[in-house]
Formats: sequence, structure tokens, C-alpha cells
Amino acid sequence: MAERVFARKLEKVGFADLSVGHHVAFGIEHASLFPLFTPELLALMHRLIPPDRQGCVATSVIVKARKPR
Amino acid sequence: MGEAHQDLLFQSDIKEAVRAAYAAIPSGGGDPVARRLYSDEELEEIPRGAIDWALGVGNPVRHAELRIGETVLDIGSGGGIDTIMAARRVAPSGRAIGLDMLDEMRDRARANAAQSGVSGWTEFVAGEMESIPLVDEAVDVVISNGVLNLSARKSRALAEIHRVLRPGGRLCLADLVVDDELPPEILTSDSAWAG
Repeated sequence: MAERVFARKLEKVGFADLSVGHHVAFGIEHASLFPLFTPELLALMHRLIPPDRQGCVATSVIVKARKPR
Repeated sequence: MGEAHQDLLFQSDIKEAVRAAYAAIPSGGGDPVARRLYSDEELEEIPRGAIDWALGVGNPVRHAELRIGETVLDIGSGGGIDTIMAARRVAPSGRAIGLDMLDEMRDRARANAAQSGVSGWTEFVAGEMESIPLVDEAVDVVISNGVLNLSARKSRALAEIHRVLRPGGRLCLADLVVDDELPPEILTSDSAWAG
């Protein structure tokens, strides 16, 4: 899910004071730490994703929002 | 089969893939993840069993600005690492609730909470983020760590989080966002959904 889509969904259900921060690149190397990413999927990612993008296939973020009073 | 039925089937397939992937994780798999996300000081207060099952993508408790006396809900609590950290910050008058759909994860989290000494004000409940088993306006803060991206119905899950928060309540979650298109072979992988 893209960050802008995430933000739009939060606003749509009624959240306010939305902030998205603490962006950290999440690459294939990071994905390999997770047991849920199988060796087959990691191999597929290495094969299909261009080398210059393998260090950042996604971004971890901290999303904060508030329910209005 | 109509589109609505196909969509429901797709959601069911995703949920089952996530459930199967988490159930098959070997113990100890979360240690390298925890070392990346939490400080040594933070991990000192967490039992080994919770560190071994740390599978988040960030550190929401660090950013949630929790206060003594607040009620916190941890969506997808897994082995309990963030629930336990949150419980310590809202003690002694607050309350921490971990929500997880997997029986084995809740059992592990309860054992880890007991070892941490926070059981008195911490509970782990069965349920899914798209249908949270709490009454309206039940909690002050909702945290979550790498879990919302597992849902095939993200808007539904966010609406449920909004429902259970009291007016003025806060959401603080860590998750992954993807701004560039990934190859379809990756996006349609069960493991990619689960991861």
C-alpha cells in the first residue's frame, strides 16, 4: 500500500492529526531477517527487482493519528 | 461466481496464507528482527520468549507517548513484545490488551507477560483486526507493528480501530509502505502477503 493511500484511508474512516514519519528503507536484506519471507520469494525478489532497487523495496514508517473529540 | 464472492474468496485465501505462515515459524526467528528494532535497554526488560517472536517492522511503543493509567490495545500482538513494553509504560493503573487470531501466539504472549510480571494488568484476546472484540470507545491508544499490511481489508481494520478508540484517543503503528510498483510475481506471492 502506498503512503498516500494509507493516509487517505485513515482520513476516510475519521482520523485527524495524521503524521507519517521515521521512514526507514526496507530492502531484500532486511526481508531476509524475517522467517516469513521464504527462500523462494527472496530468490524471486533478487531475480526480478533491479539491483539498484533491492536496497529499498518498501519503507517502514511510523503512522500516528488521533480520533477527534 | 460473482465478483463479490471472488473477492471474499481472495480475502479468505490471504488470511489462510498468513495464518499458515505464522504457525510454521520456527522459534527464535525473531531475534535478528528485534536486535534491529529495539535498543539493548528496551530488550533488557523483555523475556527471551518474546524476543524470539518479534516480527514487527518498527518500534511503535517508542513513539506512542504512553502515559500511566492509559488502556492500550496492541493489534496483532504475536509473542507479546510490544504489549509487554506498553504494559510497563501504563502501569500500575493502566491496562494492556493484545489481540491476535492465533491461539499459539496468544499462549506464548501470556507466558511471556507472566515472566515479565505484567500479567496483572495485561490480557490477550482472540480476534481479528477486521472485527475487534471490544466495545466502542474502549481504549485510549491503539498500537500495531507490521500487521495492518497483512489485512486484505485494510479500510475495515482501520474503521474498527477508530471504533474502539475513545474520542481523543491515539493510533500509533509501524508498518510498511510501497511507493513503487513491484513485479506482479512478487505481489501475488503468498509469502509476500504474509511477510
